[in-house]
Amino acid sequence: MTADRGPIQQTEALARLAERVARQVRRRRAEYHALRGLLYGAAAAALVLLFKTPFGSLALPIAGGLVLLGLLAGGLWGLFQRVPHEDAARLADGAFGLQDRVATALEWARRPDRTPLVDALVADAIAHVQALTPRQIVRRRVPREVRWLPVPVLIGLALAVSPPLPMPSGRLPDLSTSTDQSDTKERGELAMMEQDRRLVPKDALKRPAMEERDFNQRGGTGASPTAGDLSAIFKDTSLGNQRPDFNSFLKKGDERLKLLEQVDRLPDLQSDFTQSQYKMVFRKSKALTGGLRPDQISPQRLRELLEEMERLGRKGGANWSGDAMEGMDALEGGQPDKALEAMEKALNKMRAMDEQGRGGKNLRGGRERNSGQRGDRGRGTGGGPDEQDFGEGEGFLPGKGKSASPKGDASQRLRANPYDVGVEGESRQGKKDGYDTNMTGRGGKMGSRLSYLGVIGQYRKMMEDAITREQVPRDYHTQIKDYFQALDER
Amino acid sequence: MTQEARVQEFVAAFERLRAEVEKVIVGHRDIINHVLIGMFAGGHVLLEGVPGLGKTLLIKTLAEGLELSFSRIQFTPDLMPADIIGTNIILEDAEGRKHFQFQPGPIFGHILLADEINRATPKTQSALLEGMQEGSVTVAGSSRPLPSPFFVLATQNPIEMEGTYPLPEAQLDRFLFKLRVRYPAIEELNAIIERTTQVHPVAVEQVMTGPAVQGFRELIREVPLATHLRDLASTIVMATHPDWEGSPEISRRFVRYGASPRGAQAIVLGAKVMALSQGRYNVSADDIRALSAPALRHRVILNFEGEAEAVDVDKLVAEIVDKAQERMSAGREAFLR
Repeated sequence: MTADRGPIQQTEALARLAERVARQVRRRRAEYHALRGLLYGAAAAALVLLFKTPFGSLALPIAGGLVLLGLLAGGLWGLFQRVPHEDAARLADGAFGLQDRVATALEWARRPDRTPLVDALVADAIAHVQALTPRQIVRRRVPREVRWLPVPVLIGLALAVSPPLPMPSGRLPDLSTSTDQSDTKERGELAMMEQDRRLVPKDALKRPAMEERDFNQRGGTGASPTAGDLSAIFKDTSLGNQRPDFNSFLKKGDERLKLLEQVDRLPDLQSDFTQSQYKMVFRKSKALTGGLRPDQISPQRLRELLEEMERLGRKGGANWSGDAMEGMDALEGGQPDKALEAMEKALNKMRAMDEQGRGGKNLRGGRERNSGQRGDRGRGTGGGPDEQDFGEGEGFLPGKGKSASPKGDASQRLRANPYDVGVEGESRQGKKDGYDTNMTGRGGKMGSRLSYLGVIGQYRKMMEDAITREQVPRDYHTQIKDYFQALDER
Repeated sequence: MTQEARVQEFVAAFERLRAEVEKVIVGHRDIINHVLIGMFAGGHVLLEGVPGLGKTLLIKTLAEGLELSFSRIQFTPDLMPADIIGTNIILEDAEGRKHFQFQPGPIFGHILLADEINRATPKTQSALLEGMQEGSVTVAGSSRPLPSPFFVLATQNPIEMEGTYPLPEAQLDRFLFKLRVRYPAIEELNAIIERTTQVHPVAVEQVMTGPAVQGFRELIREVPLATHLRDLASTIVMATHPDWEGSPEISRRFVRYGASPRGAQAIVLGAKVMALSQGRYNVSADDIRALSAPALRHRVILNFEGEAEAVDVDKLVAEIVDKAQERMSAGREAFLR
């Protein structure tokens, strides 16, 4: 029957089998992807029903449409995916136990270098195929994620019968005001500032949290916040007059993050020594009295300043409160010069208390600097009263500061820390809470610590590779692994 | 004669020859099959097993079933290459003149039994190399062809290692298959006792001639091999190499050197004989899987860790074959696996 036909024509029966299997594969694929589409469609429908207010009465039809759309799209996607004939033939061989007859016959029938045995192979394969009983050989597969299908379906059903959820109506804080204001020129003149403050109602001044901060120090943030405007929070920071610059943070962030590892060197933000109460009041008094005779000073502003000093003293339990009260009495009595004297007294007491607090941080205050104690601490001779105040430990150890030690200059690594120069004062004598490692020479310029966990992981991997690849006797494997295990436990 | 008739003739001849061998050898059906497959594939077979399991008897019986010349060499440490290949000897003719005449050694036979091959020195072992690969030997500068078909069946004992010279890799690679002869089951042992202690010994008939073997060897090479099965054989062999990117973890861990291309040739040729012996006209994946271990177990060299952990090469090869099949099907859609 097949003698007068070429091998390619003879393989029609085999090709039909492969096509039949390919159709089965496509059908199963359509089912598989339709189920996946149904799941995604149901999830989308549940979302529509969740926020159905904008859709109104169309929400239910839209949800149903989405379910159908997912089902159809998945089914069509699976149906029209290509199934190579070779793969279908191999699948048929495997499923019907044909021992690769069909795939080999289909391939070799087309080859120009086919051997005489190929004709016999094709005939044999056809005989085997014709003896087959057609059956479904591709198993149905259910996508793993379809087990979650009841979830969106049940949620959708529940949402369909429930009333619509209220849509959120909140507004995010409008930061554009503060950003725009950063472009306006800096309001540095105190007179203008004072003018603004006079316009503020008196009861507003009694809010201690806002009142005790010196906004003038921050530069350019003089606008008074309106009620409910969250941007006021940001005006209270030094970032308030800057545009957000994420790139600069990325560049500098590395250095900032390093500081987080040096806990003992972080500034005490709760008691900011550069913005102490004394300095705040001192600046205000200078602004008030600068270049003016006592009779030229505004009594109103002087009274406000004295009231503020009295309030601060009362709140902190300090002893300048009485001086401030005396000043206010003198002002009431029309004696501004006595009021100014009282204010000076109160300021002196504030300064004394400020320096006392500074001593708790192992720092010496400005007065101590002139007390002649420095010679006892081994500092170099070059320092004078106006010398820049360096950080803790400067000049007290070999090779540091301006000393003529043969070990060289101070480590740049320590100097590079901005917080070292940001804190005023010098290290005081006696026992301290913490020490910096005083590294000299080449080591001082390099990081003194390695990330232990990172390094030990690398070495562990190298060890495992070495054990696998090298001829390490088996008895040693346990010892090596125990060694690394012991390192981990440390 | 049609192709179908040629194939049927081969199947019948294969069955007859196996039946003749099974008259003497009890059990070991796989070993007999693989020896016959090796012979029809045109290769040589190394049988490894402890003494007394019938290795030598199997080969002698096979030789008796074929109308072919048979030689046996008992390898010993003092055996010399000339004892295998032959040598020129001085002969004196009737007129009293002397001349050299080549006296062929036992290698000049169709079937050569190299018994306990690992007892000879490497120098003597290597005397077989040229004959096994080229089908000819060189004596005193002249090449002499060996009779065709030429088939070496060697045996070695894996436990008595004192005074032995393990075969070098180059020589091992010349063997198409290495077969492990295992101890018989109790039923087989009972049959051996009954068969070998009776009065009349079993007579083996000659059922195949040399030219017939040659003809079948040519037929076997016509068996078609599908591309995906060729790729499977290549992947299996490549996966035995620890440095190959697709090697499984077990290869990377325990293998020092993988199989040579001769390993892939052995798998494919053996698979073709196996297919044809079962009346099939094409190679199947099962054939390749069945012949991977005999073709690769002597070509895969374990590293120190593999030796120290006593890794079974057969299990290693089986896992490599599994991984290779997974790799072959990994790129196909899930429905087609």
